[in-house]
Amino acid sequence: MSADVEVVEQAPAPVPGTRGTWSLSWHGLRTVTVLELRQRVRSTRWKTALIVWFLVVGLITMLTTGAFAIISGDGSTDETFGGTVYSIVVGFVLFLGLLVAPTLSSGAINGDRNAGTLATLQVTLLTPAEIVLGKLAAAWIAALAFLVASIPFLVWALVGGGVSWFALLTTVLMLALVLGVVCAIGLGFSAVVSKTSGSAVLTYLTVGGITAVLPILFGLLVPATTTTESVRVWAVEAGYTWEETTAPECEWQTQEIDVWHSERTWWLLAPNPFVVVADAQPLGDPETLGEDENMLAVLQYGVRYARTGDSGPRDWCTGVYMGEGSQPESPVEPVQVTDQLVWPWGLGFDLLLGAAGVIVAVNRLRVPTARLAQGTRVA
Amino acid sequence: MTPDGGIRAQGVRRSFGPVHAVADVDLVAAPGRVTALIGPNGSGKTTLLLMLAGLLTPDAGTISIAGADPVTQNYAARSRTGWMPDVFGTWDSLTAREVLTTVAAAYRIDAATGRARAGELLELVHLSEFADQPAHVLSRGQKQRLGLARALVHDPDVLLLDEPASGLDPRSRVDLRVLVRRLAAEGKTVLVSSHVLTELDEMADDAVFISRGRTVATQSVADGDRPREWRVTALDPAALTAWLDENGPAYRREGDSPAVLVELAGDAAAAALLRSAVEAGIDVSSLAPAGGVLEQAYLALEEERR
Repeated sequence: MSADVEVVEQAPAPVPGTRGTWSLSWHGLRTVTVLELRQRVRSTRWKTALIVWFLVVGLITMLTTGAFAIISGDGSTDETFGGTVYSIVVGFVLFLGLLVAPTLSSGAINGDRNAGTLATLQVTLLTPAEIVLGKLAAAWIAALAFLVASIPFLVWALVGGGVSWFALLTTVLMLALVLGVVCAIGLGFSAVVSKTSGSAVLTYLTVGGITAVLPILFGLLVPATTTTESVRVWAVEAGYTWEETTAPECEWQTQEIDVWHSERTWWLLAPNPFVVVADAQPLGDPETLGEDENMLAVLQYGVRYARTGDSGPRDWCTGVYMGEGSQPESPVEPVQVTDQLVWPWGLGFDLLLGAAGVIVAVNRLRVPTARLAQGTRVA
Repeated sequence: MTPDGGIRAQGVRRSFGPVHAVADVDLVAAPGRVTALIGPNGSGKTTLLLMLAGLLTPDAGTISIAGADPVTQNYAARSRTGWMPDVFGTWDSLTAREVLTTVAAAYRIDAATGRARAGELLELVHLSEFADQPAHVLSRGQKQRLGLARALVHDPDVLLLDEPASGLDPRSRVDLRVLVRRLAAEGKTVLVSSHVLTELDEMADDAVFISRGRTVATQSVADGDRPREWRVTALDPAALTAWLDENGPAYRREGDSPAVLVELAGDAAAAALLRSAVEAGIDVSSLAPAGGVLEQAYLALEEERR
């Protein structure tokens, strides 16, 4: 397939051999993609949507920048506005992308079926895989157009400082992949459900499931993953009365306390598109996390923290005394979040969902078909 | 693959849940001939054509399209079949030319050949002046013609036309007839489904009648010597009926019309009747078959079923 790029104009074999359901050719793929894109580009709805998108993302960027300028006074700390604005813009682009991407693909197959144009493709020598992947490519390219329309604002936020170019690269790459996955899921549903509204709803539910339901489940599982354990605690000395004017002595105690083993359920957070995008950037320094106000970095730190879990010794002594006098160094190391990546797991899961969508769609387009969905005509 | 081309279907069955859309169809359409597929609405014509086009699996029975089995050799069968569905959409925002070049590409025809072929076909179906107009401005009949062109893009050996004449103006119907005859003359197998029977009369060589999903009759259209009804009109209807009462065959009236219908054995009998009527001094103003061969055969079958 790789070499076919150069030979597209050359005639494919006029007397074809047999090509199966999963056979793919560059020629066939391109035919379907061009057909789909041509139709999309010529609809005014699509141009309007792109313009509205550009304006909305631009507006959000402006408002965020403006709000930041007001909050931070007269720009004395302007070297870090980038982190805030950047994370808000990225979050917003992803949010809008998750809203738009299902509409780009969830009507691709059942819409054609209802319009009577699907069967006319199926009787040609295109294989089901070519039809499905061609449609996926077209939907994805359309989704990427929205992403490209928001890149100027991401770059603008980047210019504000606080975010590396490399982070921009990983963010855009992850955004693109996540949108592709959503398109593939929508395509799968559009092959299964006969009404376009039905497949759109199912796609939104699936996206909502990985974005919201799994994190909620993570939260609900907190009691189940919390156990009472003996933990070494660097605690205030026994018998300290808090009326004394001297700082308390700290000492090691062993206490029975509740420990939340978030490292057992962190994977519920991983498929969330926001987590995938946030975690793919290079891990920031936890020291600067607070000042930076880069919400993506905070989110990344959060999921890494969840993956690390906290079952080591605790420091419940250092800093509790507000009075005079110096305190000894804390012997408890602050929790170092893991440098094990979270996003490959999340992205892997999402890609599996997308692949499932493609496989389902291809199987549904197999000809000759043995069964018809209720209320559908083949033609 | 077997050497014999054309369409062969034997004992084909297909049901959708409890509905037996096609219950038992036998059909043979020979290369170089136009075969009409005739049946009332809901008799399973479209379902049968979907199976022949390789889109639907039959529950039972065997099909062969130009030697290929659409179930086991679907790809080969598809490459030889041109299918024009009864209701179909067009990619509305594409121009007529783009529709055809897209279909050509989908049949793995290279771009240059595809463009040439599109131009040729647009010429053939008289859509050249609309070639670069978006398909949604085309009228229903023009879309129908575009659909026919689309079925011909890859020069198929077998043509399946589902109600090709619906929505066509008289001129286009004549063109369609001429085109279909020409394609058959080139050796292609053409299967046309329609219920505009007069249309098929002039187009088809053979006819297959199906009803409630079953083949009920197969006959040749060109068979001129089969008994059928003829319509006779005279300047003086009373004189005609008086003469018929005395000499002629049995006749019947058709409502209040001055014409009478007589059943005659064939063309020779019609000529003989006309000669003797004229000799008897009856001013016959017209003598013609009442309805086409197919129409009469169809109505006769309907009669039998009641």
